Parts: sequence; C-alpha cells; structure tokens
Amino acid sequence: MKTTNPQHRLLALLSIPAFLFLVIPTAIVVPVALNDSRYITFPPEGISFAAVAGFFADRAWTSALTASLQSAAIAVVIGVLLGATAAIGLHGRKFPGQPAVVGLILAPMIVPTVVLALAFYQFFISIGMVGSIVPIGLAHAVIATPYVYLTTRASLAGLNPALVRSAQSLGAGPLSVLRHVYLPIILPGLISGALFAFSVSIDETVMSLFMQSPGATTLPVKMFTDIQFNLTPKIAVSSALLVSVATIGLLLQVIFVLKRRSSTRMLPLAVSAQT
Amino acid sequence: MSNATLERTRPRGRGAPPGAETAPRRRRNGWWLLLAPILAFDVVLFLTPLGKLVGASFADNAYQRVLEDPLVVRALVNTLTISLASTIVTVVLGYIIAMVLWRAGTVTRVILFAVVLLPFWTGILVKNFAWAVLLQDNGIVNAFLQGIGLTGAPIPLLHNRFAVIVGMVHCLLPYAVFPIFSSLASIDDRLGLAARSLGAREGSVFRRITLPLSMPGISAAGLLVFIISTGFFITPVVMGGPGDMMIANQIDYYARQLTDFSGAAALAVILTVMVSILVAVYQRVLKAGGQHEDN
Repeated sequence: MKTTNPQHRLLALLSIPAFLFLVIPTAIVVPVALNDSRYITFPPEGISFAAVAGFFADRAWTSALTASLQSAAIAVVIGVLLGATAAIGLHGRKFPGQPAVVGLILAPMIVPTVVLALAFYQFFISIGMVGSIVPIGLAHAVIATPYVYLTTRASLAGLNPALVRSAQSLGAGPLSVLRHVYLPIILPGLISGALFAFSVSIDETVMSLFMQSPGATTLPVKMFTDIQFNLTPKIAVSSALLVSVATIGLLLQVIFVLKRRSSTRMLPLAVSAQT
Repeated sequence: MSNATLERTRPRGRGAPPGAETAPRRRRNGWWLLLAPILAFDVVLFLTPLGKLVGASFADNAYQRVLEDPLVVRALVNTLTISLASTIVTVVLGYIIAMVLWRAGTVTRVILFAVVLLPFWTGILVKNFAWAVLLQDNGIVNAFLQGIGLTGAPIPLLHNRFAVIVGMVHCLLPYAVFPIFSSLASIDDRLGLAARSLGAREGSVFRRITLPLSMPGISAAGLLVFIISTGFFITPVVMGGPGDMMIANQIDYYARQLTDFSGAAALAVILTVMVSILVAVYQRVLKAGGQHEDN
C-alpha cells in the first residue's frame, strides 16, 4: 500500500523517531569501539584498532570470551538435542498429560531470569558443582532449550504424520525415519533454534553473574562488572563483538523468514531471554 | 502475504493418527523415548532447583522479614511504577511501528522487521552500554540539546529513572510490535474501504475501526511487556541511580550482599507468583483475542 494521504504521511513522520530510537544505539557500537581516543565518545574522532588490540592482549577479556563461547557451545548442543527430540516426540501425538509436558518444556521461558539465577546458584552450590563454566552452560541450556523446541515445532507444522506412518509401514526403522523423514524437514528449524540458543547464551548476564568464579567469568559478566565503574574502550570492543554476532544471527534469520516465513512466530513468547 | 509469519495460531495436526491404536506396542513406546531426555533434564535442572528455592523461602520466617524491609517495599513500588511507565511508552511506540509495518510493502516490511529485530538479537548489556555512551554528560544527546540552545550546561540524563525507562523501552519494543502487528494484520481491509467509501475520514477510520479492532493486540502487548519489565535487573544497575533499584536487584542484594538465602528465595517466590498470575491473564487475553497459543 502506498502512503499517499496526509494521515499516512503523519504516521511515517511519527515513526521516524521510533525507528531511530531502535537503531541508533546498536548502530553506534562498532564506531565507538574503533574510536581513536582514550575516551568513549560518539561520533568517533578517528579510526583506530588500538582498543581492539588492547582487548585481545588482555587475558581477563580473552578468557571471558573463551568462557562465553564454551557456555554457548554447551547450551547449543544440549538445546538442539533436547529441543529437537521433544518436538519430534510430541509431533502429531495426543495423550493425557500432554499440555503439562508442553508446559514444562516452555516453563523456563516464563520464570524471570533472576529467579532462575538464584535457584541455580543455590542448587549448584548444594551439589558442590562450582568454579567451572559447566554449571553456567547447563543453566543456559535450560533457558535455550524451549527456543529450539519452538523453532523445530514450527518447521514440523507442515509435516503430515501420515508420512511417518507410511515410511514405517514400508519398513523404515525409527532411525531411518528420523534421518529421512524428520531431519530434512526440521533442519531449518534446528539451525534457527541453534542460533537462538547461541544468542541466548552469549548474551545471558544474570545467571552467569550469580555463578561466576575466577575461571568462569563470561563476557557479559565482565562487561557488567566494569561498566559500573567506567565506560572503557574494552567494553566497547566487547559490545562490538556481540553486535557483530547479533547482526550475523539476524541476517541468517531474515534469510530464513524470506525463504520459509516460519521462524518469527515464536518471538513474542520469548519472555526470559532479555532481562 | 507475509503477515502469515506472525500468526501464532496454526491448526494442530489432525489429532491422534488413526493408525496409532493399532500400531505395534513396541513402536509406540519407542517414541516416548524421545521425550525422556528433556523431561529428565527439566526435572533435574529446572524443577529441582526451583523446588529447593521454594523450600528455602519458608525458612526463618523469610516472607515476613522481607516484607517488613523498607528497601524491599521501595523496590516493589519501583518495580510497579517503572514497569508501568515503560509499558505505556513501549506500547505507544510499538503501535506506531506496527502501523508502519502493516502499511508497508513487502520489501520495506522485511527491512523494517529486521530493524525491529536488531535490538532483540543484541544483548542487554550492549544496548545499555550504547545508551550510556549516548546519554553521558559529554554524549551526543547533551551536545545536541546544547547545540539547539535548550540548555547551557549538560543535563544529567544517565543514572536516573528516565535513563532506566529509556533502556527498558529499547529492550521491550520488539515484544510490543509483534502482537500489535499480528492483530492489525488480521483486520479485514474491506472494513476500511467500506468506511471510506461511505465518506469516513482517515482519522475516524482509525478511531472507529483500526484502533478498536487492534485492542486485543494492544492488551496482549501491554501485558507481555509488563511481565518482562518486572524482572529487569541489569538496566536499573547500569542506567539507574541508587533510588531506582527494582525487585530483581533486591533479590541479588539479599543473595550476594547479605547472603540471606531464605530472604532472597522469598523475594524470588513473590516475583514468580506475580509473573505467573500475569502470564495466566496474558494467555486468557490471547485466547479472548482469538490468537490462542497452541500449547
């Protein structure tokens, strides 16, 4: 529809500040990181990679980056395995207690992150599992799994359960059905879910903060700790890294939406990832 | 039409497959194994920690203790007022953005969706850091305000409630845009055409057709945004001042500063109960609005 009449022009005019509000903060992050100044300013005074070099020369920051990547790896692997098997297991099936099962699978999205952070903090201390990245990765896996479940379920929506039955009646075993019937159909959902899981983990701050230890401080935790004292160039570089990751994730998602128009459906449900 | 992308309503298969009853028992049981990993995982790593948390909250008279703490009362009041203010701003801005998306052509719509999704994909600390850079005393916003002569000296825009709400609205906007957009997209275009052909002006088409018919989206967006707002933790610390701490910050304070686990647990249970009630209302609203959640 063309925006020709005055009211539509008014709407377009009103929306410009709203869109700028959305875009500007993300857009300034990379220029700020490449700023040629000891201070954090925007617009930048010149281009320099000094801050980037400083970031990668600082053990505290590089080990935070490593910790973040490790926790994300744990979250993605567990999230993909559990989310996908759950979506396939529930596809086209109805049984008593099914709403409760789905409710349990989605519940980690609804509980506020700070509550989960406290619960995990106490839980992992009580079983003596502290001081490594593993409990943080497991905690991230708990909140990442529902995303993978939802994206996989969305890509299964078009699969007729009859197809599975015909494959079975033609003699296909469970593994063969998984590989030849389910896998090709869920693959886009799996990839999209893996991206979500990665992004949830790499950005998660509160649980990682509660469970941090000298060897297991993630990038957002390091940023959170430093930002309370000063805005430093290394925080800017770290932000720029995370924005780059986000942009790649977003581009991949846009490609998926354009190709399959499925994967944004669950976005409004995503309650827990952001706070 | 790409508005199908946002409908969360999908007819759900065809119920139980007709052959399921007659299939060999072994094969049916095989599929149950697919649910075992996630159930085991969630019981051990989700229900058990939460259960222990609830258990801990009943120790040491914790509920009474925290509710008598003036800092907690203040944090509860802050949580409600900051969440309410953020929700109102978010829904208004979200409505404007959703209207533009609704009116846009396909290509523009995809580009603008990407713009809306960008903050969704960006971590909260990155967003807060960017706002801190923009709003600091020698930041670009203050430079602009001084440039147009609105103020002689920098206005403190950071470390106050205004900054907290700005930071929160920026995080929350995508959550408002999607429900509002999907309820706008479900409006029959012919209603507007009919009204216009009978002489209605754009303003009254909006007031009497578009706005009332998008109310389900507005209430869903408002509730969802409010629910998410109540759990904010990072933004009040990074962008707010000492007087802007919310309930999540009190949980952290009890747990890590006071090392009072039962107090922290009691606060966490209070927050969770509040959120659960709101989530139940939210699902009712979605059902009433015809976009039910298919689970």
